[in-house]
Amino acid sequence: MEKTTHHLNPEDLLSAANQARWELGVNFHDDIIESVYEDATRIARKTVRQKDENAAYRQDLKIDRIITSKWLGFPIMFLMLALVFWLTVAGANVPSGMLASLLIDTAHPWLKAGAAALHMPWWLDGVLIDGAYLSMAWVISVMLPPMAIFFPLFTLLEDLGYLPRVAFNMDSLFRKAGAHGKQALTLSMGFGCNAAGVIAARVIDSPRERLIAIITNNFSLCNGRWPTQILIATIFIGGLVPAAWAGLVSAGAVVGVAVLGIGFSLLVSWGLSKSVLRGEASTFSLELPPYRPPRILQTLYTSLIDRTVFVLWRAIVFAVPAGIVIWLVANVHVGGLSLAEHFIQATDPMALVFGLNGVILLAYIIAIPANEIVIPTILMLTVLSSSLGGLGAGSGVMFELDSIADTAQILQAGGWTVLTGVNLMLFSLLHNPCSTTIYTIYKETHSLKWTLVSTFLPIVLGLIVCFFTAQIWLLLT
Amino acid sequence: MNLPLSLTRFLLLNGPGYMLGYGLLAVAALFWVFWPGKGLWARLSRGHMNTQRVLLEDALKALFDFEYRRHPCELNSLAGNLNISLDKASRLVERLLQMGLISMAGQGLSLTDTGRSYALRVIRVHRIWERYLADETGVAQVDWHHEADRMEHQVSPEATDRLAAQIGNPVFDPHGDPIPSADGELPELRGKPLSQLREGDLGRIVHIEDEPKSIYEQLVVEGLYPGMPVYVTDVAENRITFATDGDECTLTHLFASHITVEMMPGKAPQRSKNALLSSLEVGESAEVAGISPNCRGQQRRRLMDLGIIPGTRIAAEVRSASGDPVGYRVMDTTIGIRKQEADLIFITRKTTSPHEHA
Repeated sequence: MEKTTHHLNPEDLLSAANQARWELGVNFHDDIIESVYEDATRIARKTVRQKDENAAYRQDLKIDRIITSKWLGFPIMFLMLALVFWLTVAGANVPSGMLASLLIDTAHPWLKAGAAALHMPWWLDGVLIDGAYLSMAWVISVMLPPMAIFFPLFTLLEDLGYLPRVAFNMDSLFRKAGAHGKQALTLSMGFGCNAAGVIAARVIDSPRERLIAIITNNFSLCNGRWPTQILIATIFIGGLVPAAWAGLVSAGAVVGVAVLGIGFSLLVSWGLSKSVLRGEASTFSLELPPYRPPRILQTLYTSLIDRTVFVLWRAIVFAVPAGIVIWLVANVHVGGLSLAEHFIQATDPMALVFGLNGVILLAYIIAIPANEIVIPTILMLTVLSSSLGGLGAGSGVMFELDSIADTAQILQAGGWTVLTGVNLMLFSLLHNPCSTTIYTIYKETHSLKWTLVSTFLPIVLGLIVCFFTAQIWLLLT
Repeated sequence: MNLPLSLTRFLLLNGPGYMLGYGLLAVAALFWVFWPGKGLWARLSRGHMNTQRVLLEDALKALFDFEYRRHPCELNSLAGNLNISLDKASRLVERLLQMGLISMAGQGLSLTDTGRSYALRVIRVHRIWERYLADETGVAQVDWHHEADRMEHQVSPEATDRLAAQIGNPVFDPHGDPIPSADGELPELRGKPLSQLREGDLGRIVHIEDEPKSIYEQLVVEGLYPGMPVYVTDVAENRITFATDGDECTLTHLFASHITVEMMPGKAPQRSKNALLSSLEVGESAEVAGISPNCRGQQRRRLMDLGIIPGTRIAAEVRSASGDPVGYRVMDTTIGIRKQEADLIFITRKTTSPHEHA
């Protein structure tokens, strides 16, 4: 007798399912979602009793109508951001000075004395204390205070619900550049620290716009670059006008560079969205959450731990090896000259075409962990390469001077002109992100390609801008 | 070392005028090499594709298409379809015969079983890629076909299966064509060209031919899409007029012949045009009628996740300081939506009472 077996063959089942899907047509996915929502709404209406939150919402709407109004929207926004920056800059000065005097002026000589007492060989003492320790100390003292003020303030505004409104107001500008309104937030965050700005791009849920925000964040002049800009502007641009105007003119120059950065940010966003990133998916929506009183303690905690300490730790991790490299290039001699001098002499002619010099190029390469140590490195290298006796703290030991006039003297002895100053300001805006930011970009995008693009695109732009500035300048003078 | 001196020496050799010229040249060269899509770099990385295999696979695809639409295929029609000379086509056919992928009876060319399953594999890659490009990327609609034409020869079937699994094993490409299953199954061709419909006929678009590109671009501009109901209202000598959801469209017979329609029983689609969400003034509210099918993939899912589905109340609440986007209140949340997206959401301005809380 024959027995018929009913095996449910998985292949047959799949094929039947496919057949059914072909017959149902293309719209059936939407129909399912709609019916799910319909059912959910019906059930919710029957069972969920909602508290009447209308009054609170009406209140929010009133605030929104002011904050997003045509006439008051932007002035309020500029005032708020100016206040945050002013508080950061003004508030960071004192603790920064205290940290510097503690870590650099007190602890550094003390460590040196300790090393001498232990009869440590000079090179070990140099590598560890003048190199690794000093660069770490520098990064902490310059980076920590502004971040510890800026991030909590920023997080407070976020928590309050104000920042989403900024994105809402600014969206139109960023849309024209092919970007997301929330890039206004990552851009402002970048003024504090680019690495934090890159992390903040997580709030942008559209993949394409998020990449754009990450790649262009470096054009926000970060905390670490403001002191460089202010110092160089004071020496070279303030020096061009009568002393009474010097302060105003040099401040104007620094703001000009920052605004130029925003311009580049929008321009590059536009270029990227029109070219390389044209095919990336783009979705837009922006939630305007209800206003609520900020949770101050929680904000302090999260912004200090998640942002400040996190970024600072990454910076320290990179600063230590860089400090060692800085000390070594200044102290390892080949054929009577240090490695640094060899590099500077070899690159000087090339650098001059770009209106820079070999010292600047070397400083930007070896001071990659943090923009904060660029100026101390430049000063050290200038003294080293121009053989200015009696100045500085020894080869490989980064230093800064309290007096701006003395700093100016060193730079002028190193052959700096107004053009060098202007181009340094431009190059400080347009060069590779610091290694902390590069690493963060890699962590956020998981893509070597986009990390390389974000690293080299600003350098290429910077060299192009410096080149044309230098050549036009030389043509006119 | 004296820097100003070396600077002077350098500039004596190369005056700034020359340097500026060199600089401009260098920048131009950079652009020429790295310009996305058209630069030297992009061309070189595209260049090394095996053109022989590409041609062979395209021929198999074309032959399958003839078979699927039950048209006979001869050397002439194949050459025409692939846009190659007769000479080249006959060499190609010879090669295909040798490889046992096609057979020849008289003038007619037909696929062998091996040839058919090869063709189906290539078509599967092509259509899955089109689906992927449509749903998961921002590649423009008119570029899907071209892009997928490139990918079909480069991507392995295994990689395609992984991609298909990732996007939920789609069964239709964005033009409405069924995607062959991994073991080469494909449903029968349904429907007939729109140009053959008569007045009063009701149907649903099942396919929009994406070649040639010039015609397809026009059809895209008209906003036609697979799944769209059509109701033929008028057939004149050389054009056909039909109502789609809330819109009316007139096409010449040539254009209409690029659209395949499946006949459908039922009532005529709604003929009054839906209002767009972007037309809602601040302070007004309406009911969502639907999302345009031209809003796809992630963007569509996102809007639906936010609760923008037929029947939901939506109110325009605040306008951004720069005019766009506008904040809409939907399901007790305020969401900023750009005009560009609000143009893809249909609403009906019914004056219904607020939700009755039962």
